[in-house]
Amino acid sequence: MSQPSLTLPTPGQQSARKRRLLELLGAAVIAATFIYLVLTQPTDITGGLSSVSALVALGGFLLGAALLIAGVLPTLPTSTVVLMPVALVLNIVLGQLMGTSGLPFYFDAIGTVLIAVLAGPAAGAATGALSSIVWSFINPTVLPFAAGSALIGFLAGTAARYGLFRRFYLAPVAGFVTGILAGVVSAPIAAFVFGGTSGAGTGAIVSAFRAMGDTLLAAITKQALISDPMDKAIVFAIAALLAYALPRRTTFQFPFVRRFNVLAGKSPAEKNAGGETAARKNA
Amino acid sequence: MAPRLNPLTLLAAAAAVLAMTTAASSWPVSLTVAAGAAVLAALTGTARRVLLAGGAVLLPFWFSLLLMHGLFFPEGRTVLAAFGPARVTAEGLGFAFDMGLRTSAFVLVLMVFSFSVGVPDLVAALTTLRVPPQFGYILAATLLLAPIIAARLQTVRQAQESRGLVIGKDFRSRLHALRLQMFPLVLGLVHEAGTRAQALDARGFRRPGPRTTYREVHDSAAQRVFRWSVLLLAACAVVLRLVTSYSPGTPA
Repeated sequence: MSQPSLTLPTPGQQSARKRRLLELLGAAVIAATFIYLVLTQPTDITGGLSSVSALVALGGFLLGAALLIAGVLPTLPTSTVVLMPVALVLNIVLGQLMGTSGLPFYFDAIGTVLIAVLAGPAAGAATGALSSIVWSFINPTVLPFAAGSALIGFLAGTAARYGLFRRFYLAPVAGFVTGILAGVVSAPIAAFVFGGTSGAGTGAIVSAFRAMGDTLLAAITKQALISDPMDKAIVFAIAALLAYALPRRTTFQFPFVRRFNVLAGKSPAEKNAGGETAARKNA
Repeated sequence: MAPRLNPLTLLAAAAAVLAMTTAASSWPVSLTVAAGAAVLAALTGTARRVLLAGGAVLLPFWFSLLLMHGLFFPEGRTVLAAFGPARVTAEGLGFAFDMGLRTSAFVLVLMVFSFSVGVPDLVAALTTLRVPPQFGYILAATLLLAPIIAARLQTVRQAQESRGLVIGKDFRSRLHALRLQMFPLVLGLVHEAGTRAQALDARGFRRPGPRTTYREVHDSAAQRVFRWSVLLLAACAVVLRLVTSYSPGTPA
Protein backbone atom coordinates (compact mmCIF):
# COMPACT_ATOMS: atom_id res chain seq x y z
CA MET A 1 0.00 0.00 0.00
CA SER A 2 2.60 2.55 1.06
CA GLN A 3 6.13 2.38 -0.24
CA PRO A 4 9.15 4.39 0.89
CA SER A 5 9.31 7.58 -1.11
CA LEU A 6 11.98 7.60 -3.78
CA THR A 7 12.43 11.37 -3.80
CA LEU A 8 12.12 12.32 -0.14
CA PRO A 9 14.41 11.34 2.74
CA THR A 10 12.89 8.67 4.97
CA PRO A 11 12.31 9.62 8.62
CA GLY A 12 15.41 8.95 10.70
CA GLN A 13 15.61 6.25 13.31
CA GLN A 14 17.23 8.47 15.97
CA SER A 15 13.86 9.47 17.41
CA ALA A 16 12.63 5.87 17.57
CA ARG A 17 13.93 5.40 21.11
CA LYS A 18 12.28 8.62 22.29
CA ARG A 19 8.96 7.49 20.77
CA ARG A 20 9.21 4.12 22.45
CA LEU A 21 9.88 5.87 25.76
CA LEU A 22 6.76 8.05 25.33
CA GLU A 23 4.74 4.92 24.59
CA LEU A 24 5.95 3.12 27.72
CA LEU A 25 5.53 6.27 29.81
CA GLY A 26 1.92 6.57 28.64
CA ALA A 27 1.18 2.97 29.60
CA ALA A 28 2.90 3.48 32.98
CA VAL A 29 0.87 6.64 33.70
CA ILE A 30 -2.38 4.81 32.92
CA ALA A 31 -1.42 1.85 35.11
CA ALA A 32 -0.28 4.10 38.00
CA THR A 33 -3.51 6.12 37.80
CA PHE A 34 -5.61 2.99 37.98
CA ILE A 35 -3.67 1.56 40.93
CA TYR A 36 -3.85 4.89 42.77
CA LEU A 37 -7.62 5.11 42.23
CA VAL A 38 -8.31 1.61 43.47
CA LEU A 39 -6.01 1.89 46.51
CA THR A 40 -7.20 5.31 47.67
CA GLN A 41 -10.86 5.12 46.74
CA PRO A 42 -12.87 7.31 49.10
CA THR A 43 -14.75 5.15 51.58
CA ASP A 44 -17.41 7.76 52.23
CA ILE A 45 -18.61 9.33 48.99
CA THR A 46 -21.20 11.44 50.80
CA GLY A 47 -18.49 13.47 52.58
CA GLY A 48 -16.97 15.16 49.57
CA LEU A 49 -17.55 14.80 45.85
CA SER A 50 -14.49 12.54 45.50
CA SER A 51 -13.00 15.56 43.79
CA VAL A 52 -9.39 14.41 44.10
CA SER A 53 -10.21 11.00 42.63
CA ALA A 54 -12.01 12.70 39.73
CA LEU A 55 -9.05 15.00 39.08
CA VAL A 56 -6.55 12.14 39.24
CA ALA A 57 -8.72 9.93 37.01
CA LEU A 58 -9.25 12.65 34.40
CA GLY A 59 -5.68 13.94 34.46
CA GLY A 60 -3.90 10.60 34.66
CA PHE A 61 -5.91 8.75 32.04
CA LEU A 62 -5.93 11.66 29.57
CA LEU A 63 -2.20 12.29 30.01
CA GLY A 64 -1.50 8.60 29.49
CA ALA A 65 -3.63 8.51 26.35
CA ALA A 66 -1.95 11.66 25.00
CA LEU A 67 1.54 10.23 25.61
CA LEU A 68 0.54 7.00 23.84
CA ILE A 69 -0.76 8.93 20.84
CA ALA A 70 2.34 11.15 20.70
CA GLY A 71 4.60 8.11 20.91
CA VAL A 72 2.81 5.85 18.45
CA LEU A 73 1.38 8.11 15.73
CA PRO A 74 4.61 9.27 14.06
CA THR A 75 5.92 5.70 13.83
CA LEU A 76 2.92 4.35 11.92
CA PRO A 77 3.07 3.81 8.16
CA THR A 78 0.77 5.99 6.07
CA SER A 79 -1.40 3.01 5.16
CA THR A 80 -2.32 2.62 8.84
CA VAL A 81 -2.76 6.34 9.53
CA VAL A 82 -5.13 6.62 6.57
CA LEU A 83 -7.14 3.66 7.81
CA MET A 84 -7.62 5.25 11.24
CA PRO A 85 -10.27 7.85 10.32
CA VAL A 86 -12.16 5.04 8.58
CA ALA A 87 -11.93 2.95 11.77
CA LEU A 88 -13.09 5.85 13.93
CA VAL A 89 -16.10 6.49 11.70
CA LEU A 90 -16.85 2.75 11.72
CA ASN A 91 -16.80 2.85 15.53
CA ILE A 92 -19.44 5.54 15.42
CA VAL A 93 -21.54 4.56 12.36
CA LEU A 94 -21.64 0.81 13.06
CA GLY A 95 -22.46 1.62 16.67
CA GLN A 96 -25.44 3.59 15.45
CA LEU A 97 -26.42 0.88 12.93
CA MET A 98 -26.45 -1.60 15.82
CA GLY A 99 -28.56 0.84 17.77
CA THR A 100 -31.21 0.94 15.04
CA SER A 101 -31.08 -2.83 14.54
CA GLY A 102 -32.58 -3.22 18.01
CA LEU A 103 -29.88 -5.55 19.33
CA PRO A 104 -28.99 -4.93 23.00
CA PHE A 105 -25.28 -4.05 22.58
CA TYR A 106 -23.30 -0.90 21.85
CA PHE A 107 -20.38 -2.15 19.71
CA ASP A 108 -18.28 1.01 19.65
CA ALA A 109 -14.89 -0.63 19.16
CA ILE A 110 -15.18 -2.63 15.91
CA GLY A 111 -12.95 -0.20 13.98
CA THR A 112 -10.40 -0.15 16.80
CA VAL A 113 -10.16 -3.95 16.90
CA LEU A 114 -9.94 -4.16 13.10
CA ILE A 115 -6.96 -1.76 13.08
CA ALA A 116 -5.33 -3.68 15.93
CA VAL A 117 -5.64 -6.94 13.97
CA LEU A 118 -4.20 -5.40 10.79
CA ALA A 119 -1.53 -3.12 12.27
CA GLY A 120 -0.65 -4.34 15.76
CA PRO A 121 -1.02 -3.44 19.45
CA ALA A 122 0.56 0.02 19.29
CA ALA A 123 -1.63 1.12 16.38
CA GLY A 124 -4.64 -0.40 18.15
CA ALA A 125 -3.94 1.51 21.36
CA ALA A 126 -3.51 4.79 19.48
CA THR A 127 -6.73 4.18 17.54
CA GLY A 128 -8.65 3.48 20.73
CA ALA A 129 -7.41 6.65 22.43
CA LEU A 130 -8.03 8.75 19.30
CA SER A 131 -11.49 7.26 18.96
CA SER A 132 -12.50 8.65 22.36
CA ILE A 133 -10.91 12.04 21.66
CA VAL A 134 -12.50 12.51 18.25
CA TRP A 135 -15.85 11.12 19.36
CA SER A 136 -15.89 13.63 22.23
CA PHE A 137 -16.56 16.32 19.61
CA ILE A 138 -20.02 14.75 19.31
CA ASN A 139 -20.44 13.21 22.77
CA PRO A 140 -18.08 14.71 25.41
CA THR A 141 -18.77 12.02 28.01
CA VAL A 142 -16.64 9.46 26.14
CA LEU A 143 -13.49 11.61 26.47
CA PRO A 144 -12.38 10.37 29.94
CA PHE A 145 -12.66 6.74 28.75
CA ALA A 146 -9.73 7.20 26.33
CA ALA A 147 -7.44 4.97 28.41
CA GLY A 148 -9.96 2.13 28.47
CA SER A 149 -10.37 2.27 24.68
CA ALA A 150 -6.59 2.31 24.28
CA LEU A 151 -6.38 -0.83 26.41
CA ILE A 152 -8.97 -2.56 24.19
CA GLY A 153 -6.92 -1.74 21.08
CA PHE A 154 -3.69 -2.85 22.71
CA LEU A 155 -5.11 -6.17 23.94
CA ALA A 156 -6.74 -6.87 20.57
CA GLY A 157 -3.40 -6.28 18.84
CA THR A 158 -1.61 -8.50 21.34
CA ALA A 159 -4.18 -11.26 20.78
CA ALA A 160 -3.61 -10.95 17.02
CA ARG A 161 0.16 -11.02 17.54
CA TYR A 162 -0.07 -14.38 19.32
CA GLY A 163 -2.31 -15.90 16.71
CA LEU A 164 -5.71 -15.74 18.41
CA PHE A 165 -7.26 -14.38 15.20
CA ARG A 166 -6.06 -17.33 13.11
CA ARG A 167 -9.00 -19.47 14.22
CA PHE A 168 -12.43 -17.93 14.28
CA TYR A 169 -13.47 -19.52 17.60
CA LEU A 170 -10.48 -18.07 19.48
CA ALA A 171 -11.33 -14.43 18.70
CA PRO A 172 -14.41 -14.20 20.97
CA VAL A 173 -12.39 -15.79 23.79
CA ALA A 174 -9.77 -13.04 23.46
CA GLY A 175 -12.61 -10.50 23.34
CA PHE A 176 -14.12 -11.88 26.52
CA VAL A 177 -10.82 -11.52 28.43
CA THR A 178 -10.28 -8.03 26.96
CA GLY A 179 -13.77 -7.05 28.08
CA ILE A 180 -13.00 -8.07 31.67
CA LEU A 181 -9.82 -5.97 31.82
CA ALA A 182 -11.28 -2.99 29.95
CA GLY A 183 -14.37 -3.00 32.13
CA VAL A 184 -12.31 -3.02 35.32
CA VAL A 185 -10.13 -0.12 34.09
CA SER A 186 -13.09 1.98 32.92
CA ALA A 187 -15.15 1.52 36.09
CA PRO A 188 -13.25 4.12 38.20
CA ILE A 189 -13.95 6.74 35.51
CA ALA A 190 -17.67 6.07 35.62
CA ALA A 191 -17.64 6.02 39.43
CA PHE A 192 -15.42 9.01 40.24
CA VAL A 193 -15.86 11.35 37.27
CA PHE A 194 -19.54 10.81 36.50
CA GLY A 195 -20.87 9.20 39.69
CA GLY A 196 -22.70 6.53 37.71
CA THR A 197 -23.33 5.09 34.28
CA SER A 198 -25.41 6.49 31.48
CA GLY A 199 -28.31 4.43 30.18
CA ALA A 200 -31.21 2.85 32.01
CA GLY A 201 -30.09 -0.78 31.56
CA THR A 202 -26.62 -0.40 33.09
CA GLY A 203 -28.09 1.93 35.72
CA ALA A 204 -30.52 -0.78 36.81
CA ILE A 205 -27.73 -3.34 37.21
CA VAL A 206 -25.63 -0.88 39.26
CA SER A 207 -28.68 -0.12 41.41
CA ALA A 208 -29.17 -3.83 42.09
CA PHE A 209 -25.61 -4.15 43.42
CA ARG A 210 -25.97 -0.92 45.40
CA ALA A 211 -29.13 -2.32 46.98
CA MET A 212 -26.99 -5.17 48.29
CA GLY A 213 -24.74 -2.62 49.99
CA ASP A 214 -21.77 -2.48 47.59
CA THR A 215 -19.66 0.67 47.29
CA LEU A 216 -20.21 2.65 44.12
CA LEU A 217 -16.89 1.53 42.57
CA ALA A 218 -17.59 -2.12 43.41
CA ALA A 219 -21.13 -1.92 42.01
CA ILE A 220 -20.00 -0.28 38.75
CA THR A 221 -17.10 -2.74 38.39
CA LYS A 222 -19.48 -5.67 38.78
CA GLN A 223 -21.86 -4.13 36.24
CA ALA A 224 -18.95 -3.71 33.82
CA LEU A 225 -18.01 -7.36 34.38
CA ILE A 226 -21.52 -8.36 33.31
CA SER A 227 -21.84 -6.14 30.21
CA ASP A 228 -18.34 -5.67 28.80
CA PRO A 229 -16.99 -9.21 28.24
CA MET A 230 -20.08 -10.23 26.24
CA ASP A 231 -19.97 -7.04 24.18
CA LYS A 232 -16.26 -7.34 23.44
CA ALA A 233 -16.54 -11.04 22.56
CA ILE A 234 -19.07 -10.15 19.85
CA VAL A 235 -17.02 -7.15 18.69
CA PHE A 236 -13.90 -9.33 18.33
CA ALA A 237 -15.89 -11.95 16.39
CA ILE A 238 -17.24 -9.30 13.99
CA ALA A 239 -13.78 -7.77 13.53
CA ALA A 240 -12.38 -11.25 12.80
CA LEU A 241 -15.11 -11.88 10.18
CA LEU A 242 -14.36 -8.51 8.56
CA ALA A 243 -10.62 -9.25 8.51
CA TYR A 244 -11.28 -12.67 6.91
CA ALA A 245 -13.51 -11.05 4.30
CA LEU A 246 -10.81 -8.60 3.23
CA PRO A 247 -8.91 -9.73 0.15
CA ARG A 248 -5.46 -11.23 0.84
CA ARG A 249 -3.98 -8.60 -1.46
CA THR A 250 -5.15 -5.95 1.03
CA THR A 251 -4.36 -7.64 4.34
CA PHE A 252 -0.86 -8.72 3.27
CA GLN A 253 0.06 -5.12 2.61
CA PHE A 254 0.25 -4.65 6.38
CA PRO A 255 3.70 -5.64 7.70
CA PHE A 256 2.17 -6.76 11.02
CA VAL A 257 -0.11 -9.27 9.26
CA ARG A 258 2.79 -10.62 7.17
CA ARG A 259 5.29 -10.82 10.00
CA PHE A 260 3.16 -12.63 12.59
CA ASN A 261 0.94 -14.49 10.12
CA VAL A 262 -2.02 -12.93 11.94
CA LEU A 263 -4.81 -14.30 9.77
CA ALA A 264 -3.20 -17.65 8.86
CA GLY A 265 -2.79 -18.69 5.25
CA LYS A 266 -0.23 -17.86 2.60
CA SER A 267 0.49 -14.56 0.95
CA PRO A 268 -1.02 -14.15 -2.54
CA ALA A 269 2.43 -14.49 -4.14
CA GLU A 270 3.17 -17.77 -2.34
CA LYS A 271 -0.30 -19.02 -3.16
CA ASN A 272 0.17 -18.26 -6.85
CA ALA A 273 3.57 -19.94 -6.80
CA GLY A 274 2.02 -22.98 -5.12
CA GLY A 275 -0.73 -23.01 -7.68
CA GLU A 276 1.77 -22.87 -10.51
CA THR A 277 3.82 -25.78 -9.20
CA ALA A 278 0.64 -27.76 -8.74
CA ALA A 279 -0.38 -26.93 -12.29
CA ARG A 280 3.06 -27.95 -13.51
CA LYS A 281 2.80 -31.26 -11.68
CA ASN A 282 -0.56 -31.92 -13.27
CA ALA A 283 0.76 -31.11 -16.72
CA MET B 1 -17.38 32.25 17.86
CA ALA B 2 -15.49 35.28 16.63
CA PRO B 3 -13.02 34.10 14.01
CA ARG B 4 -10.42 36.36 15.58
CA LEU B 5 -10.07 34.00 18.52
CA ASN B 6 -7.40 31.38 18.12
CA PRO B 7 -8.77 27.81 18.51
CA LEU B 8 -6.03 27.13 21.05
CA THR B 9 -7.34 29.99 23.18
CA LEU B 10 -10.77 28.37 23.18
CA LEU B 11 -9.25 24.98 23.95
CA ALA B 12 -7.19 26.36 26.84
CA ALA B 13 -10.21 28.20 28.24
CA ALA B 14 -12.41 25.08 28.04
CA ALA B 15 -9.75 22.86 29.65
CA ALA B 16 -9.10 25.38 32.42
CA VAL B 17 -12.80 25.82 33.19
CA LEU B 18 -13.25 22.03 33.35
CA ALA B 19 -10.25 21.54 35.62
CA MET B 20 -11.44 24.28 37.96
CA THR B 21 -15.02 22.96 38.02
CA THR B 22 -13.81 19.48 38.88
CA ALA B 23 -11.42 20.83 41.52
CA ALA B 24 -14.13 22.97 43.10
CA SER B 25 -16.73 20.17 43.02
CA SER B 26 -19.50 22.20 44.52
CA TRP B 27 -22.90 22.43 42.96
CA PRO B 28 -23.10 26.26 42.86
CA VAL B 29 -19.89 26.36 40.80
CA SER B 30 -21.09 23.57 38.49
CA LEU B 31 -24.45 25.28 38.04
CA THR B 32 -22.77 28.62 37.25
CA VAL B 33 -20.43 27.02 34.72
CA ALA B 34 -23.26 25.09 33.03
CA ALA B 35 -25.42 28.21 32.85
CA GLY B 36 -22.45 30.23 31.61
CA ALA B 37 -21.84 27.70 28.84
CA ALA B 38 -25.51 27.88 27.83
CA VAL B 39 -25.38 31.68 27.71
CA LEU B 40 -22.17 31.56 25.67
CA ALA B 41 -23.85 29.16 23.25
CA ALA B 42 -26.78 31.56 22.92
CA LEU B 43 -24.44 34.50 22.27
CA THR B 44 -22.54 32.62 19.56
CA GLY B 45 -25.74 31.38 17.94
CA THR B 46 -25.10 27.69 18.57
CA ALA B 47 -27.63 27.41 21.40
CA ARG B 48 -30.04 25.15 19.47
CA ARG B 49 -27.41 22.67 18.39
CA VAL B 50 -25.61 22.65 21.75
CA LEU B 51 -28.82 22.12 23.71
CA LEU B 52 -30.11 19.41 21.34
CA ALA B 53 -26.83 17.46 21.34
CA GLY B 54 -26.25 18.11 25.05
CA GLY B 55 -29.80 17.06 25.92
CA ALA B 56 -29.41 13.80 24.01
CA VAL B 57 -26.39 12.99 26.18
CA LEU B 58 -27.51 14.47 29.48
CA LEU B 59 -31.18 13.45 29.77
CA PRO B 60 -30.54 9.67 29.91
CA PHE B 61 -27.63 10.36 32.24
CA TRP B 62 -29.73 12.38 34.69
CA PHE B 63 -32.48 9.75 34.55
CA SER B 64 -29.99 6.98 35.31
CA LEU B 65 -28.33 8.98 38.13
CA LEU B 66 -31.61 9.80 39.85
CA LEU B 67 -32.81 6.21 39.57
CA MET B 68 -29.50 4.83 40.83
CA HIS B 69 -28.76 7.14 43.75
CA GLY B 70 -32.27 8.35 44.45
CA LEU B 71 -33.54 4.86 45.25
CA PHE B 72 -30.44 2.97 46.36
CA PHE B 73 -27.79 4.74 48.39
CA PRO B 74 -26.50 2.48 51.18
CA GLU B 75 -24.41 5.32 52.66
CA GLY B 76 -27.55 7.46 53.14
CA ARG B 77 -28.76 8.13 56.71
CA THR B 78 -31.68 10.55 56.30
CA VAL B 79 -34.46 8.39 54.89
CA LEU B 80 -37.18 10.41 53.19
CA ALA B 81 -39.29 7.49 51.95
CA ALA B 82 -38.93 3.72 51.70
CA PHE B 83 -40.46 1.28 49.20
CA GLY B 84 -39.43 -2.21 50.22
CA PRO B 85 -35.67 -2.49 49.57
CA ALA B 86 -35.55 0.95 47.93
CA ARG B 87 -34.94 3.91 50.22
CA VAL B 88 -35.03 7.52 49.04
CA THR B 89 -32.36 9.30 51.09
CA ALA B 90 -31.42 12.97 51.23
CA GLU B 91 -27.73 12.08 50.80
CA GLY B 92 -28.48 10.00 47.70
CA LEU B 93 -30.49 12.76 46.04
CA GLY B 94 -27.79 15.28 46.97
CA PHE B 95 -25.07 13.08 45.44
CA ALA B 96 -27.07 12.58 42.23
CA PHE B 97 -27.68 16.34 42.05
CA ASP B 98 -23.97 17.19 42.59
CA MET B 99 -22.73 14.66 40.05
CA GLY B 100 -25.43 15.52 37.52
CA LEU B 101 -24.61 19.23 37.65
CA ARG B 102 -20.85 18.59 37.39
CA THR B 103 -21.34 16.35 34.36
CA SER B 104 -23.74 18.86 32.80
CA ALA B 105 -21.08 21.56 33.13
CA PHE B 106 -18.50 19.16 31.62
CA VAL B 107 -20.68 18.27 28.64
CA LEU B 108 -21.95 21.79 27.92
CA VAL B 109 -18.49 23.40 28.07
CA LEU B 110 -17.01 20.84 25.68
CA MET B 111 -20.01 21.11 23.34
CA VAL B 112 -19.72 24.90 23.18
CA PHE B 113 -16.06 24.41 22.33
CA SER B 114 -16.60 21.77 19.64
CA PHE B 115 -19.50 23.62 18.00
CA SER B 116 -17.79 27.01 17.98
CA VAL B 117 -14.33 25.96 16.84
CA GLY B 118 -13.60 25.54 13.15
CA VAL B 119 -11.95 22.15 12.63
CA PRO B 120 -9.63 23.35 9.81
CA ASP B 121 -8.51 26.23 12.03
CA LEU B 122 -7.96 23.90 14.95
CA VAL B 123 -5.84 21.55 12.82
CA ALA B 124 -3.77 24.46 11.53
CA ALA B 125 -3.29 25.78 15.06
CA LEU B 126 -2.31 22.35 16.39
CA THR B 127 0.55 22.07 13.89
CA THR B 128 2.14 25.12 15.52
CA LEU B 129 2.13 23.23 18.84
CA ARG B 130 4.38 20.44 17.46
CA VAL B 131 1.51 17.97 17.72
CA PRO B 132 2.24 15.12 15.26
CA PRO B 133 0.69 16.17 11.91
CA GLN B 134 -0.98 12.76 11.73
CA PHE B 135 -3.18 13.77 14.66
CA GLY B 136 -4.56 16.76 12.77
CA TYR B 137 -5.13 14.61 9.71
CA ILE B 138 -7.04 11.97 11.65
CA LEU B 139 -9.16 14.55 13.48
CA ALA B 140 -10.11 16.44 10.32
CA ALA B 141 -10.51 13.35 8.13
CA THR B 142 -12.82 11.63 10.63
CA LEU B 143 -15.13 14.60 10.95
CA LEU B 144 -15.16 15.06 7.14
CA LEU B 145 -15.55 11.34 6.40
CA ALA B 146 -18.46 10.76 8.77
CA PRO B 147 -21.19 12.20 6.51
CA ILE B 148 -19.57 10.65 3.41
CA ILE B 149 -19.54 7.20 4.99
CA ALA B 150 -23.10 7.61 6.23
CA ALA B 151 -24.15 8.42 2.64
CA ARG B 152 -22.16 5.43 1.42
CA LEU B 153 -23.99 3.16 3.84
CA GLN B 154 -27.25 4.49 2.40
CA THR B 155 -26.05 3.63 -1.13
CA VAL B 156 -25.02 0.13 -0.07
CA ARG B 157 -28.41 -0.43 1.53
CA GLN B 158 -30.23 0.75 -1.57
CA ALA B 159 -28.10 -1.49 -3.77
CA GLN B 160 -28.79 -4.50 -1.56
CA GLU B 161 -32.49 -3.68 -1.38
CA SER B 162 -32.66 -3.53 -5.17
CA ARG B 163 -31.24 -7.07 -5.14
CA GLY B 164 -34.01 -8.25 -2.88
CA LEU B 165 -32.83 -7.47 0.66
CA VAL B 166 -35.83 -7.26 2.96
CA ILE B 167 -35.17 -6.51 6.60
CA GLY B 168 -37.56 -8.73 8.52
CA LYS B 169 -38.54 -8.66 12.14
CA ASP B 170 -36.72 -11.73 13.40
CA PHE B 171 -33.16 -11.82 14.70
CA ARG B 172 -31.69 -13.98 11.91
CA SER B 173 -33.04 -11.76 9.16
CA ARG B 174 -31.64 -8.67 10.86
CA LEU B 175 -28.26 -10.29 11.31
CA HIS B 176 -28.24 -11.26 7.64
CA ALA B 177 -29.18 -7.71 6.62
CA LEU B 178 -26.42 -6.33 8.82
CA ARG B 179 -23.89 -8.64 7.16
CA LEU B 180 -25.02 -7.67 3.68
CA GLN B 181 -24.56 -3.98 4.48
CA MET B 182 -21.46 -4.05 6.63
CA PHE B 183 -19.15 -6.14 4.49
CA PRO B 184 -19.43 -4.15 1.24
CA LEU B 185 -19.12 -0.92 3.25
CA VAL B 186 -15.98 -1.93 5.14
CA LEU B 187 -14.25 -3.62 2.20
CA GLY B 188 -14.83 -0.59 -0.02
CA LEU B 189 -13.55 1.79 2.65
CA VAL B 190 -10.39 -0.20 3.34
CA HIS B 191 -9.64 -0.43 -0.36
CA GLU B 192 -10.09 3.32 -0.79
CA ALA B 193 -7.83 4.01 2.17
CA GLY B 194 -5.04 2.16 0.36
CA THR B 195 -5.36 4.42 -2.65
CA ARG B 196 -5.39 7.49 -0.42
CA ALA B 197 -2.25 6.32 1.37
CA GLN B 198 -0.33 6.20 -1.90
CA ALA B 199 -1.49 9.68 -2.84
CA LEU B 200 -0.48 11.07 0.57
CA ASP B 201 2.90 9.32 0.55
CA ALA B 202 3.66 10.77 -2.84
CA ARG B 203 3.17 14.20 -1.27
CA GLY B 204 5.58 13.60 1.61
CA PHE B 205 2.98 12.93 4.32
CA ARG B 206 5.40 10.98 6.52
CA ARG B 207 8.19 13.48 6.19
CA PRO B 208 9.38 14.92 9.51
CA GLY B 209 9.97 18.61 9.96
CA PRO B 210 7.95 21.80 9.81
CA ARG B 211 4.76 22.01 7.78
CA THR B 212 3.55 24.95 5.76
CA THR B 213 -0.12 25.75 6.05
CA TYR B 214 -2.13 27.89 3.66
CA ARG B 215 -4.56 28.66 6.41
CA GLU B 216 -3.61 31.60 8.57
CA VAL B 217 -4.94 31.36 12.08
CA HIS B 218 -5.25 34.61 13.91
CA ASP B 219 -3.16 34.85 17.06
CA SER B 220 -1.97 37.68 19.24
CA ALA B 221 0.29 38.33 22.21
CA ALA B 222 -2.74 39.05 24.38
CA GLN B 223 -4.24 35.66 23.53
CA ARG B 224 -0.97 33.91 24.31
CA VAL B 225 -0.84 35.63 27.71
CA PHE B 226 -4.49 34.72 28.31
CA ARG B 227 -3.85 31.06 27.46
CA TRP B 228 -0.93 30.74 29.83
CA SER B 229 -2.69 32.57 32.63
CA VAL B 230 -5.88 30.47 32.52
CA LEU B 231 -3.85 27.27 32.42
CA LEU B 232 -1.76 28.51 35.36
CA LEU B 233 -4.92 29.42 37.24
CA ALA B 234 -6.35 25.94 36.60
CA ALA B 235 -3.10 24.33 37.78
CA CYS B 236 -3.25 26.43 40.96
CA ALA B 237 -6.84 25.33 41.58
CA VAL B 238 -5.89 21.67 41.14
CA VAL B 239 -2.83 21.97 43.41
CA LEU B 240 -4.87 23.81 46.04
CA ARG B 241 -7.44 21.02 46.02
CA LEU B 242 -4.77 18.32 46.30
CA VAL B 243 -3.00 20.14 49.16
CA THR B 244 -6.17 20.74 51.17
CA SER B 245 -7.27 17.14 50.75
CA TYR B 246 -3.97 15.71 51.96
CA SER B 247 -3.27 18.07 54.84
CA PRO B 248 -4.39 16.33 58.05
CA GLY B 249 -7.54 17.46 59.78
CA THR B 250 -9.40 18.80 56.77
CA PRO B 251 -11.91 16.60 55.00
CA ALA B 252 -11.23 15.81 51.34
